[in-house]
Amino acid sequence: MKLTRREVVTPVILSPAMLKGQQTVATGDVELQAARERLKTNAHALNTVTLPMSIEPAFQFKA
Amino acid sequence: MAQLSSNVFFSTIPELNAKLVAKEFSAVELARAFVERLEQFGPRYNALALGLRQEAIRKAETVDADIKRGRLRGPIQGIPYGVKDLLSYAGQPTTWGAKPYAAQVFDHNATVINKLDGVGAVITGKLSMVELAGGGGYRYASASLTGPGLNPWDRTRWSGGSSSGSAAAVAAGLVTFAIGSETSGSIVTPASFCGVTALRPTYGLVSRHGAMALSWTLDKLGPFCRSAEDCGLVLQVIAGKDSNDPGSAGKSFYYTPQYGRPLKELKIAYSPGDFTDRAEPSARPAFDAALGVLKAAGAQLMEIQWPQFPYGPVLSTVLAAEEAAIFEPLVESGKVDQLADKAQVAGLKAAADVSAKDYLKAMRIRRLIQEAFAMQVFSQVDALLAPGRSGPAPKIDQPLSPIPGAAPAAATAPATTPPPPGGFAGIIPAGNLAGLPALVLPCGFADNLPVALQVMGAPFSENLLLSIGREFQTRTDWHKRRPQGL
Repeated sequence: MKLTRREVVTPVILSPAMLKGQQTVATGDVELQAARERLKTNAHALNTVTLPMSIEPAFQFKA
Repeated sequence: MAQLSSNVFFSTIPELNAKLVAKEFSAVELARAFVERLEQFGPRYNALALGLRQEAIRKAETVDADIKRGRLRGPIQGIPYGVKDLLSYAGQPTTWGAKPYAAQVFDHNATVINKLDGVGAVITGKLSMVELAGGGGYRYASASLTGPGLNPWDRTRWSGGSSSGSAAAVAAGLVTFAIGSETSGSIVTPASFCGVTALRPTYGLVSRHGAMALSWTLDKLGPFCRSAEDCGLVLQVIAGKDSNDPGSAGKSFYYTPQYGRPLKELKIAYSPGDFTDRAEPSARPAFDAALGVLKAAGAQLMEIQWPQFPYGPVLSTVLAAEEAAIFEPLVESGKVDQLADKAQVAGLKAAADVSAKDYLKAMRIRRLIQEAFAMQVFSQVDALLAPGRSGPAPKIDQPLSPIPGAAPAAATAPATTPPPPGGFAGIIPAGNLAGLPALVLPCGFADNLPVALQVMGAPFSENLLLSIGREFQTRTDWHKRRPQGL
């Protein structure tokens, strides 16, 4: 297989941390709080849609 | 064994099958070459979850015996392929890309694997994925047991998720086709970022028996291939009724390119702003050229009223409620904390808070969405057109969503900053909520990385989408491009 200059250089550019996927992490509690806030925001967004009583859930899901 | 040309690794299904039938090489030679390539290059892109060398050679031997006796089983016979590691393969680990399930072994094959086995396809490996197909919502590309999916076009970029390995393996010529899954974007996104053709079928068309469940009402399996035609050939095999899948639509699919309607007869809806203002600047020339190809072919591109719904929140609510029920044992056991992505851990824990009322409300809105697409959209046009993603793949260490509590620069500049509102905003959640099929077509490059179109159609309109794809690909060669050095 022929390696291009880019292919040769890439392993040097990629640090081990980058290859592993370095993360900036918030604490678990902060993350959990943020996830709960997102759910609340979603719930509020659902309330923007008018739903007549006749609209039943898509229980029997048919495409 | 004869040394196979590197072109073999980038051949289409009909090309490879013709060479097998003509005995230019044997199925065993082909399988061995692909397995070696998958084992050599798969880890380079964090794309390989499990090599299946012995199984592949054994299967290829039966294919050679069949071909020798004239038992031809169609174009997929002898073709090497891989599956996302959320599909069970009897007796081998099925990790779902997640540490808590690293030792999990099932005693049965997924239905799609059995169907492909029945026509002589040769499984060569299981391909990596975002842990639990992204359930809970991940923030980093590194949310995987095998590390971040690296893009074959540039290893500093993400391959996309959650079917990361499926897309990367096809792009790098490690398999001829791969099976992936989509709940919301997991086929469209990696196919767009890796520059491969892929199909998200209509909900219920392909059995999910043997696949990890993330959302019973959203999950779908589909192929990643080298062309629209290959997608049709694979879909014909994997589609069909399955009593083991309660969501099965009970329909078969026959790939009928001979009956494809020409582009000039088709009305295709689009929003010009999706390809300009709402696309990343580097991608606009490629999108503009792709639109030009379709217009030159006579397609009637027209603007329509896009149904307005809070697609993202509706999808997130449905998904959260269903994944909370599915992964309750994982959360309750505490093993959820073993996942690599902390945002995902939090998302799965918080999902238990979704009320029955909100789930039902989301499912009622979903019914309105389905009706809107049937009555407002597909009564006027044959298909919808949009970018696969608004730009090329992000860097692998970029956050995919804002970091709570982080400095404003980091918190507000995720790699997937949503585009300005308008156009076909939310086409991915909209299409998934309505169970609509979509075909991803590579359409050029931006910053030396692939970008793609997505064409979405009415339920069970796969043949129409594939005919659009075939016409586009007879006029372009983006789907034939190969990453440098491969």
